Amino acid sequence: MLKYVLKRLGYILVTLWVIVTCTFFMMKNLPGTPFDAERFSIMTPQQQERVLEMYGLNDSLPMQYVKYIKNMLKGDLGTSFTYVNQDVSKVITGRLGPSALIGIQAVLIGLAIGLILGILAAWKHNSGIDYFTMILAVLGVSVPNFVAAALLQYYIGLKWGVLPVGFWTGWNCSVLPSIALSFSATAMVARFMRTEMLDVLDQDYIITARAKGLSQMKVLMRHAVRNSILPVVTILGPIVVNLMTGSLAVENIFSIPGIGSLFVDCIKANDYPVIMGITIFYAAFYMLIVLLVDLAYSLIDPRIRLAKGKES
Amino acid sequence: MKMMKAAVALGMALTMTVTGASAVFAEGETLSVATDFEVKTLVPWAASEENAFMVLNQAEEGLFRMDENNQPQPALCDTYEVTDDKLTYTFHLRDGIQWSNGEPVTAADFVYAWLKQMSADATNGYSFIMTDYIVNGQEYNEGTVDASEVGVKAVDDQTLEVQLKSPTPYFLNLTTMDMFFPVNEAFCEEQGANFALSPDSMLYCGPYVITSYDPAVGVTFEKNDNYWDKDNVAIEDAQVRVIKDAAAALSAYQAGELSQVKLDSANVVAYKDDPEFSQEIDFRTSYVQFNLTDDVMSNVNMRKAISLAMNRSALTDNILADGSAPGFGLVADGMSGDGEKTFRELNGDVSPYDPEQAKEYYDKAVEELGGAPSEVTLLVADDSVSKSVATFIQSELVTTLGLNVVIDTKTVQGRGELMDANNYQFAVTAWGADYDDAMTYLDLWTNGTPYRGNYNDDDYNALISDAKTQTDDAVRLDDMLKAEKKLVEEDAVVAPVYHRGSAVLTKSNVKNLISHPIGVPIEFKYASFE
Repeated sequence: MLKYVLKRLGYILVTLWVIVTCTFFMMKNLPGTPFDAERFSIMTPQQQERVLEMYGLNDSLPMQYVKYIKNMLKGDLGTSFTYVNQDVSKVITGRLGPSALIGIQAVLIGLAIGLILGILAAWKHNSGIDYFTMILAVLGVSVPNFVAAALLQYYIGLKWGVLPVGFWTGWNCSVLPSIALSFSATAMVARFMRTEMLDVLDQDYIITARAKGLSQMKVLMRHAVRNSILPVVTILGPIVVNLMTGSLAVENIFSIPGIGSLFVDCIKANDYPVIMGITIFYAAFYMLIVLLVDLAYSLIDPRIRLAKGKES
Repeated sequence: MKMMKAAVALGMALTMTVTGASAVFAEGETLSVATDFEVKTLVPWAASEENAFMVLNQAEEGLFRMDENNQPQPALCDTYEVTDDKLTYTFHLRDGIQWSNGEPVTAADFVYAWLKQMSADATNGYSFIMTDYIVNGQEYNEGTVDASEVGVKAVDDQTLEVQLKSPTPYFLNLTTMDMFFPVNEAFCEEQGANFALSPDSMLYCGPYVITSYDPAVGVTFEKNDNYWDKDNVAIEDAQVRVIKDAAAALSAYQAGELSQVKLDSANVVAYKDDPEFSQEIDFRTSYVQFNLTDDVMSNVNMRKAISLAMNRSALTDNILADGSAPGFGLVADGMSGDGEKTFRELNGDVSPYDPEQAKEYYDKAVEELGGAPSEVTLLVADDSVSKSVATFIQSELVTTLGLNVVIDTKTVQGRGELMDANNYQFAVTAWGADYDDAMTYLDLWTNGTPYRGNYNDDDYNALISDAKTQTDDAVRLDDMLKAEKKLVEEDAVVAPVYHRGSAVLTKSNVKNLISHPIGVPIEFKYASFE
């Protein structure tokens, strides 16, 4: 097991290096410079020189790359171009908190409601709750989260005045954005759970369990759910990453200082060090979550063994 | 289940970090305004965006401050003298002015900040605002003279002497800008790279002190008890909030979270008759820049035809509909002229709408070019306003002239790069006045760069350089009037399109929340609650 994890971590490092390299060179081909063209053109040559030197842009591209990798290995991601004098790591961690909180809450909401609906829909197949779940699933996947966000903001925030219409002044500000983000997760979880449950409920061992006289509840919880949850765990990885890395639209609507808008902003502004920093973070985070999901498989389903070799 | 527990614990930890930082925005009577951009830096010589100017203007102060009528009034400066040749200004600072840590504000603080802004360290692109005027400023920037030779000196703690290269009637206006605010040298050097990154790493000498600052969240202010004019500052708490989405800002205003909100054009119609509605023109002009080295656009009749073919009023009334005014000249409406009339009133419409004449010029151009161009490419930035302006120009030119326009949309950065590389035919761009004088626009076209269409005209340059050295204000004004006529009407190097306006809603209990048409959009100092 430990060997397997170490091997996977090794792959992650190699993949990261490839991603860093590709992003670095592609990013340098973005049109424009990190500086406001109008302002930069009226700087004196001395100032232009100083600015380029300050940001290490007067070196050749390969040299810039070598320097970047060197600093990165030392844990230094550089300073942002647009957030003057601010460390990239600080800029990113400062914006990560809000996105992560909202993301985690959205995952929890989506998981809780999605699982319950999915189980109920499968159990009461072709009943009202089943149709309701399917309609909700279609809506949740097809209605963009910013529409949900705008509606929630208008009715719950403005009309009823129950929760703040935006900003980041306390936990209550995170409720509406979390709900808005959770819709698609709820829909996906519910749909996967329902499909797999229907499949599992038809299996012989369920009939056996029923024949043994187990209560409906026990059949469901002990046999059906545990055997149906694997696909949900699989999609959970991407869902968690998606939600925790921030949503530009929802963040903008609720004026949340999250990482989604930072990513878009820094690309628009050609803020190279921040682009690199966020890319590294996103990539590493995604790969670690995928690893965790793989590890979780073996806990849920003993048939899956991660390491080759003798039975544990 | 362990994972679940860990997730919950992590969530709770995050919640705590959030609520821990939650006392940021105080409740109660707080003056609250929104900005749609992040406040990315507050370092004076790095900040180049309006919202940073706005924040700095509340927390700091220069020799002068703009009053309600956009006239500079003595602020940290008490009295001043000018020599007869209008080249040497002597400013006497007020008695007892203090930084927020209790230290006195001295003339040396001004010298330090001004030298910094003139040095090569300044990355905001605003060094010209000093080096163009102050003796040896340019040379200091290039590193050829020593700081002691630059024309800004602290005669004693309370006396600042400034030597100008040429008479500058608007010099006092310039001193209201944030680049001219003092900075305490000892404090700044001690902070080093941390200077102005957080409320604690700044000192304040303006009406307010900053109590919290997060680029993506905004800035909160509290009245500065060490401010010399604190008796005339009515509002105790204020804030600037970053709200990127216009609809979200309107919701926040309706929920009572904002004292004032800017409306986008979609909402102007709906709120036009609201008692809280008001609108005004900024000193900012969007214009079409022609590239004079391009085969088609090098033809002056073609340029004139394009300029005359645009029905600018239709654009501002029907498409933008946000309080913007048609651009019948390069210098924005309302900018000062001779003291009685505005510059625009004095010079009239230099870029009018005249479809028949446009057609005549176009036919002439086609003849001179030896055939009509099959199409021309208009370069624009990718924001929604620029795109609708481009579509408008496209339809005007095809209906009036029969000229086909291809719209090339690029990011702001990409557009700038193409223009700098001389790789465009004509482009939509804009310039906001840095100070209330026509020169802020007119001297842009003296450098002959591709960004300014490669315009390099001796007569034009002569007019501008005469205006810059002229001691007689009437002659100076006349030079500038002629220069604008030449640039826009005769040579048609640029075709002004519109002057940006803004429509706002302001809560009825907020009085005297002044908006300046240049530089600093909103001024807190004079505001009060009813």
